[in-house]
Amino acid sequence: MTEIYATIIFLVVLFGLLGSSVWVGLALMGVAWVGLELFTSRPAGDAMITTIWTGASSWTLTALPLFIWMGEILYRTRLSQDMFRGLAPWMRLLPGGLLHTNIFGCTIFAAVSGSSAATLTTVGKMSIPELRRRGYPEYMIIGTLAGAATLGLMIPPSLTLIVYGVTINESISKLFLAGVIPGLVLATLFMSYIVAWHFVKKSERPEADKSMSFGEMFAESRFLIPVLVLVFAVIGSMYFGWATATEAAAVGVIGALVLATSQGSLNLSTFYESLMGATRTSAMIALILMGAAFLSLAMGFTGIPRALATFIDGFELSPIALIAMLTVFYIILGMFLDGISSVVLTMAIVEPMIRQAGIDVIWFGIFIVIVVEMAQVTPPIGFNLFVLQGMTTHEISYIAKTAIPMVLLMVLMVVIMVIWPELATWLPDNMRSTPG
Amino acid sequence: MDWKPFIGLPLWFWLFVLPTLLTIASWVLKEKARKILTPIWRFLNVLYTTSGIIAAFFMVIILLLIVAQMIARWSGVTFHGSTEFAGYAMAATSFFALAHALNRGAHIRVSILLNLNNFTKRWVDIFALFVAAIIATYFARYAIKANIFSEMLNDRTQGQDTVPEWLLTLFETLVTSPTQWAVLWSQTSSDMVYTPLWLPQIPMSIGTTLLAIALWDNLIRFVVLDKSNIKGEMV
Repeated sequence: MTEIYATIIFLVVLFGLLGSSVWVGLALMGVAWVGLELFTSRPAGDAMITTIWTGASSWTLTALPLFIWMGEILYRTRLSQDMFRGLAPWMRLLPGGLLHTNIFGCTIFAAVSGSSAATLTTVGKMSIPELRRRGYPEYMIIGTLAGAATLGLMIPPSLTLIVYGVTINESISKLFLAGVIPGLVLATLFMSYIVAWHFVKKSERPEADKSMSFGEMFAESRFLIPVLVLVFAVIGSMYFGWATATEAAAVGVIGALVLATSQGSLNLSTFYESLMGATRTSAMIALILMGAAFLSLAMGFTGIPRALATFIDGFELSPIALIAMLTVFYIILGMFLDGISSVVLTMAIVEPMIRQAGIDVIWFGIFIVIVVEMAQVTPPIGFNLFVLQGMTTHEISYIAKTAIPMVLLMVLMVVIMVIWPELATWLPDNMRSTPG
Repeated sequence: MDWKPFIGLPLWFWLFVLPTLLTIASWVLKEKARKILTPIWRFLNVLYTTSGIIAAFFMVIILLLIVAQMIARWSGVTFHGSTEFAGYAMAATSFFALAHALNRGAHIRVSILLNLNNFTKRWVDIFALFVAAIIATYFARYAIKANIFSEMLNDRTQGQDTVPEWLLTLFETLVTSPTQWAVLWSQTSSDMVYTPLWLPQIPMSIGTTLLAIALWDNLIRFVVLDKSNIKGEMV
């Protein structure tokens, strides 16, 4: 019975604090404190610091600031201008034309940056005006961009996956590799949507640009190729077991610095800005992780996760039914919380559940990322919606409407993942063992 | 026993009641408070930024440690404790940047009520700042307590990382009276010792304290100036 009271009190305090705009990390600490004081005799404060210190000084976490920094450096280079110029001549050859630059651009930038807001601004800054000038319909420009930017969360390096890996103590390299194929499949789904539009809405097709020789095409994409090399270096070094996730991140930072220097876009002020920006973002995530670490400790003491796992087990749900239930749960949660917060908030409860149901935790990491991705483009709280609103001055409701097809494609992606779990598990199962 | 009296009053009075009273006083005395507080605000702004820059410095340290570790591995040299050091640097980065990140609007929160209308914007923000300040003060208080206990119990690292003894003495010098300095340094050898936990925990004490100060500071600025010091928040 205590578990039921405890659950109710936890939920009331949690939603009270989060709803009254207390910063997520601190709100989680507040809830945990209430839980510990009410249901245990353990000294809450001392237990809190022990847990937080262990979490905050962990070696696994060091991949986080470095991957953020790598993205910040490239975000401040000429990459975004060059991305459009470099991609456009190739994309013209596909049905649906330059709209594919949104998808390709986001996929590439997602591979150097772990955040979807950064992906969105970098790609959107150039592609929105260029696509508008060429006469592509507005709803296709905005919708594909909003959807494709969420790839930033799935294609490695992904901040959400680092946070997930740290929370449940799983290898971050494995999670990263698991995200590669599903990310590419999702990108392909987005592209087929554009191709379908091309053939269905013939009247909306804009006129084609003049054609270019192969030589010119390569010349235009000369800045893009080094970025692609960097991406393969980072992901490849993890796959072949040459480097741990943190070491791959260090390689990424150095590669990004070299790239930016050779482009001439790195000076003292961009270096300083990238460093400070990365420091702030990493502190933001660190605070949430501290709160979450304390909260899972508190919940562990109350026995809620175990009780809930047994309770759910009692229904004898099939893994598929459990996944379906969790999908709905995360979509609703995601309407109010950002991806990282929803992951850390729920893992203490969900982890025993999925382990009991025999679901692969690496696979589940990719699943959870797809569902929280949807949250980025669903109102009322969706970070991609806010960013796009700032960039285009469209109403949030309009942007959300244009993104509906993308959300449906993401739901389809969940179904595909359930049918073929190997999409996520094949690469990590075949990677070489990582050092140290 | 956790709230032993300090200068005659229980510790919780100094940590929670006093800042609350200060907030109320500044609210009542708006103009006067503004005059007195303006130089303090200027000083605090510098402090937050400095702490942010120290955090960034530790992020560069993480990068250098990891590069050194990779080079050591390729050349067959062992670099003892590199993962522990990177972990300490990680903690330092996170804790030192907490207050700076707050003032630059990097920490996230759910803003549905905040965006409802002007009335809720004001009152919900004040409430959120107040609750957050209380939680952060609690956090800082126990961070400092844990830091002091690590020193008293002489907690050492569980890894292979060592630091030179003189570095520890350097920090101890700061908290001992000058008359004891000669004795302190004469007892210091040039040996390497296993890292005592209190050393890497210092950034935790400083960072959480600054976060608590920053939240009280923002609350007071909000009631005096009708706007907090938090800029560029995506709400």
